[in-house]
Amino acid sequence: MTKHIKITVLSVLSSLVFLACTKDLDQTPINKDSFTELQVFETKTEAKGALAKVYAALALTGQEGPDGDGDIQGFDEGFSQFNRLQFTMQEATTDHAVFGWGDQGVPDFHAMNWTSSNQFSEGMYYRLAQEVSFANSFITNAEKLAADSDIQLYIAEVRFLRAYAYYNLLDLFANVPIATKVQTTLPEANDRTEVFNFVESELIAIQTLLAPSKSNEYGRVDETAAHALLSRLYLNAVIYTGTSRYDDCITYAEKVINSAYSINTTDGNGNGSAYDELFLADNNTNGAQNEFIFAMNFDGNESQTWGGSTFLVHAAVGGEAMNPADFGIDGGWSGLRATKSLVTKFEATETDTDGNPIAWADSRAMFHVTNHSINISDIEIFTDGYAVTKFKNIDTNGNPGSDPAKQMVDTDIPVIRVAEIYLNYAEAVARGGAGGSEAAAVGLINQLRERAFGNTDGNIDSGDLTLAFILDERSRELYWEGFRRTDLVRYDQFTTASYVWPFKGNAINGTSVGDHRNVFPIPSNVLLVNPNLTQNSGY
Amino acid sequence: MKNFRIFLIALLLAPLSMFAQQTISGTVLEEATGTGLPGVSIIIKGTSKGSSTDFDGNYTLSQLNKGDILVFTYMGFETQSITFNGQAIVNVSLKEDAQALNEVVVIGYGTARKKDLTGSVNLVNSDDFNEGANVSAQSLIQGKVAGVQISSGGGAPGEGQEIRIRGTGSLSLNSNPLIVVDGVPMSESNIGGSRNALNAINPADIASITVLKDASSTAIFGSRAANGVIMITTKKGKVNQEMKVNFNTNTSMAKVYDYVSVLNANQFTNLINATENEAYISRLGTANTDWQKEIYTTAVSSDSNLSISGAVKNLPYRLSIGYTDTEGVLRTDAFNRTTAKLSLNPKFLDDALKIDFNVNGSYIENKFADRDAIGQAVGYDPTQAIYDASSRYGGYSYWVDPASDEATLMALSPVNPLALLNLTNNTAEVRRLITNVKVDYALPFVDGLNAVVNVGYDVSDSNGRTATSNLMPSSNDAFDGSNSNYSNNSENKLFDFYLNYTKDLNDDHSIGIMAGHSYQMFEQEKMDSNSSFFTDAATKYFEKSYKDRAVLMSYFGRANYNYKDRYLVTATLRADASSKLNPNDRWGYFPSVALAWNVSNENFLAESDIINSLKVRIGYGEVGNVNGLENYQFLTRYTGSITGASYQFGDAFYRTYRPSPVNTDLRWEIGNTLNAGIDYSLFDNRISGSLDAYVKTTKDLIASSTVDSFTNFGNKVDANIGDMKNSGIEFALNVIPVRTDNLTWNINYNVSYNKNEVTKMPDVQTAGHFGIGSSIQIHEEGYAPYTFLVYEQVYDVNNRPIEGVFVDRNNDGKINDKDKYHSENPYADVIMGLSTSVDYKGWDLNIATRASFGNYVYNNVASSNSHTNKSTEKGVLRNLNTDYYNTGFKFTTDKTVLSDYYIQDASFFKIDNITLGYTVPKDFIKNIGFRFYASANNILTITDYKGLDPEINGGIDNNFYPRPETYMLGVNIDF
Repeated sequence: MTKHIKITVLSVLSSLVFLACTKDLDQTPINKDSFTELQVFETKTEAKGALAKVYAALALTGQEGPDGDGDIQGFDEGFSQFNRLQFTMQEATTDHAVFGWGDQGVPDFHAMNWTSSNQFSEGMYYRLAQEVSFANSFITNAEKLAADSDIQLYIAEVRFLRAYAYYNLLDLFANVPIATKVQTTLPEANDRTEVFNFVESELIAIQTLLAPSKSNEYGRVDETAAHALLSRLYLNAVIYTGTSRYDDCITYAEKVINSAYSINTTDGNGNGSAYDELFLADNNTNGAQNEFIFAMNFDGNESQTWGGSTFLVHAAVGGEAMNPADFGIDGGWSGLRATKSLVTKFEATETDTDGNPIAWADSRAMFHVTNHSINISDIEIFTDGYAVTKFKNIDTNGNPGSDPAKQMVDTDIPVIRVAEIYLNYAEAVARGGAGGSEAAAVGLINQLRERAFGNTDGNIDSGDLTLAFILDERSRELYWEGFRRTDLVRYDQFTTASYVWPFKGNAINGTSVGDHRNVFPIPSNVLLVNPNLTQNSGY
Repeated sequence: MKNFRIFLIALLLAPLSMFAQQTISGTVLEEATGTGLPGVSIIIKGTSKGSSTDFDGNYTLSQLNKGDILVFTYMGFETQSITFNGQAIVNVSLKEDAQALNEVVVIGYGTARKKDLTGSVNLVNSDDFNEGANVSAQSLIQGKVAGVQISSGGGAPGEGQEIRIRGTGSLSLNSNPLIVVDGVPMSESNIGGSRNALNAINPADIASITVLKDASSTAIFGSRAANGVIMITTKKGKVNQEMKVNFNTNTSMAKVYDYVSVLNANQFTNLINATENEAYISRLGTANTDWQKEIYTTAVSSDSNLSISGAVKNLPYRLSIGYTDTEGVLRTDAFNRTTAKLSLNPKFLDDALKIDFNVNGSYIENKFADRDAIGQAVGYDPTQAIYDASSRYGGYSYWVDPASDEATLMALSPVNPLALLNLTNNTAEVRRLITNVKVDYALPFVDGLNAVVNVGYDVSDSNGRTATSNLMPSSNDAFDGSNSNYSNNSENKLFDFYLNYTKDLNDDHSIGIMAGHSYQMFEQEKMDSNSSFFTDAATKYFEKSYKDRAVLMSYFGRANYNYKDRYLVTATLRADASSKLNPNDRWGYFPSVALAWNVSNENFLAESDIINSLKVRIGYGEVGNVNGLENYQFLTRYTGSITGASYQFGDAFYRTYRPSPVNTDLRWEIGNTLNAGIDYSLFDNRISGSLDAYVKTTKDLIASSTVDSFTNFGNKVDANIGDMKNSGIEFALNVIPVRTDNLTWNINYNVSYNKNEVTKMPDVQTAGHFGIGSSIQIHEEGYAPYTFLVYEQVYDVNNRPIEGVFVDRNNDGKINDKDKYHSENPYADVIMGLSTSVDYKGWDLNIATRASFGNYVYNNVASSNSHTNKSTEKGVLRNLNTDYYNTGFKFTTDKTVLSDYYIQDASFFKIDNITLGYTVPKDFIKNIGFRFYASANNILTITDYKGLDPEINGGIDNNFYPRPETYMLGVNIDF
């Protein structure tokens, strides 16, 4: 009897223990920096933090500045930043820039012999695909929140960011899957035309949902961003789909030209040009912000990364003759220079004894010449090739940025600005697009050139408005801002022998490479995990 | 119930029996040698009364009654019982139980006699531990157990040790075995500020280490035992033992003799002059500095332990304190540990109630040298002097930024290695308390039924900080020093309850049944903060914290059946639930069954003179694994951004929320092992050992798997994606070639073959990351995990590699990824351990050696530093590896670093330790035993590997902390 009682007591006790403990198995995050979906999307105030992430994923690299909790794993965090990857793939592959570092995978871009296992192009794919996933998740969750005009605006902006990510995927990798929901099933591949159509339809759909031109907070996009990106998309449509869309390019460029944005004409530092203000530490307030339709925002203390403008300023500085203090930084990284082909796009006003240009009337020619040779014999020698002084971490008053360590840079990077749209308009007109006028195109280009020259000396007339001129003018206006590869592809000069530059195709005087290099390969690791995808031809 | 009755009767009769009490005395001798045995316990059967022998083996025992049975027991000897019938003197000779078949082995939730074991279990007693400089428990059994590979992460004092039992079992999860200290399973996570989780245990306090290798013996630990179990039993006092004091102290010196082979100043000057680039040539210095020699020093260390053990009445105790003060060979590196341990093992209620109480406290002070100095010393320009009187940085030379007005450090240039060592101060203290109380109560109402409760608590608290001097070379002229601080707290709470029932049904059949419940909770909290100072601006400040909690709940049971000691069956079942997994897949059920046949107990072998024992075993079991898996991965969770990662809208900066990669389907990784083995003992137990063969298949392997980022919030997520197979053979042999009164010679040899193969992997996973985002290893179906995937180098007629030329293996005219091939892998095919001990009169000599065959290493030291373009990278001069002379390579590219030229055979033979000791005869000083010893560690490595040390965990050799040679003198005193 006692035995039975004891067994009963024991089993009751142990079942109590069991009940107490099984609840303990339901552990949820107790870390103070960890949140559930319910918490993040509880109110629109909190949801704004999730919105900020969809923006920040293109500017920063993780949840700890400048590094420590990266968005992308197995990859140097600084290299995983969008602008830095964009520079690597769009500028360092061209006549605009050489990258002097020997790190594995870096020299392959300028040498144009990258492979499908190149970790930088793989990182770019992840960065953009992840942005799509962040956006999809945001949209799904925000739609559950009460209908509210702010929330609707957030969703429209996130759709823009997703379209921007897809625009880059379309341009760089061509054939990528279209995902509009977070789903674990592997997506099917879409061809380049389908991706183009998706980006186009999204931008058209959201143009009326976005805030009116320039009515949103700085850093957030509005309808003009959709218009501007459409003009860029249509300008390149023939490459993406085989069908040219220059009329549409003009239509949307005009919307931008007539929008509340305008090119910056405030010469804050009084050096005679309002161009350099676009790339200074206070370009979010010095007037440049009026030209920025979409910019990546950085701050030396609050928004830190080893990529972005931190990279663009540091990597372009080096050697004995460049004083880091002039750039508002602690020291240069001795990485980036221009090739001679970029330098000679600007008409020189002064040459050295060897006949090499050393001074220009065009204030956009921002080169450091002292101690540097214009020709490059060895890409890894920093003084081979002129250094570029376009991006700086000093403000209009000459003061360095906010980071006391002078490492993290404040300067914002415009990824869509009005000047580009002027040039889009001019090119679409020159390519025979209807709805615009040559006179208007010349006028727009002269606005840019007057800002550059500080007077009308550089102005052109309609006879000068050739496609070749416009391509060179894009170089002069937009170099190092992430356009060059796309432009050269559009002119069929990226891979062909019709245009070569130093070390193109890994030859000192330049040589052509296979046409397949007009797009990048789908990363081999992505192909392995998603067998629905096929490698771009030629790789 | 029966015991209780006896207890009552004894209580009643006690006053009566007083009248008839008598005294006995005598000597207990060791049968083989005829010498007295100290510390033999003599107990009057059925009571707690007794005595123990003194140093010469003499004992006296009073208050005896006729008919009392005296039980003489001594560890390692057969127990003898003598009935008292009035003798005044009883001398007893105890026979050595050389094979120690009755030796009790700690297994999960209980103990077993060695002869009753059915699985692959190896016991290493403290007598057989490795000697010499062993700061960590793991190194005690390095090379001692077949199939168990233990190697340190480097030569730092108290450095972490990697233990692999039967190869590598997991990819993403950790492949470390479960470590159980006195019944308390340790937490899998490392403690910040500590170099090695087992540093908290003083090796001198360890009595034995049991290694459970096959799943039939580990399955009782279910989900935690996928990679085997190491059970540590600490030393305890014994009943009726006289007080014994042991003091052991030693001093050692460690020194590095081998360095990475780099260009000397002359060679380097020639190399730079050959560039004919004035900018570089002008940077050459005039000194001749061997930077590696400068950063290493002779390290002096000492280790002392004092223990007192004995029994106060029926309360056996052991108290010990230990103090270790170890310097690292890398300047400014040090490890300092104080441990205290108390064990109490009283028995009450006529032995029905046994209590084991252990408390182990440790206090560790670490000083971490900046290990970047190792790589910087390898690459630092040898023509530069260490000091420069004009230097603004404490006199240390540095690469001056020519553009800076302030003569600051050039950005991205290497930093003087000695400045790195001397201008940072990185220290940490770790306090840890591991305690448990185990109550084992023989329930009075059922004979043979015990209830056991084991409550354990393991808590640690660490604090660390790094102070960087304002003199540290920096590219920022305003840099005024920096500080960073961190703290870690972790708690591991254990509650076990189980019932154990054993019964001899009759002479032939006996059974044992055990069933129980276990609850364990792990909690950790981390805080980090740092601040940098600048002369002209405010301090920059950064802070973050992390906290998580995991719960493991389990039910388990075991049944044993024994027929005539010939046929043994063991079956176990464990159900585990982990909070790390989603509720649907949270419970895992892990069964095992094993059979053993004691062939030697069969009649036809019972009289054999040759075979002393022979046992054939076969077992099958399943175990799970989620060790090392990050918590909460099945939940959608968001990480809030911290300092420096806000995003600006308008004038405000917003905290961002990032969804983390999620896997709602995470399940247990499940390993199945089939093991068959033989234990043998021959020729009067002079030859003994075991032979085992096993196949382990792991299903649903969790790996950090690449995902298409369109489908998740990142590019990597832990997922159950593959299968793996580990198979092998292990052979262990103990030989005692000589065993006489004066001379004993013992040889211990083990050899094991193991093969790891990934048998299913839907998508190839990269591993072995190095540099900035490169990887050289893969997990691919049909190959060993961590196989090197490389290009095949082409060589010229002189067998010199041709730069940038590789074999076009798929003949498509291009050299691209498709030409990479599966080369070797870092895991050894065959490992061996050979140790020997010779005892001659008072002298003892121990030699421990190890060998490893078929393990390959990627020589990243050479591949990253032997191309001329590296020597002038980023505008400063950097030294090259002398491998440059073998290749003449100029450019580092995607492909050259992935050349199979750098995959090198790292098979090795090492002499880990030689120890010579002398024990002063006992009568030399009355009642005090002395042993003096001298020991040398890591004295010889034979290998073809071209790098510094062939023993590289993970197989990628880069900036390895060299393992020094250590020479030690010590004395051990017993009184």
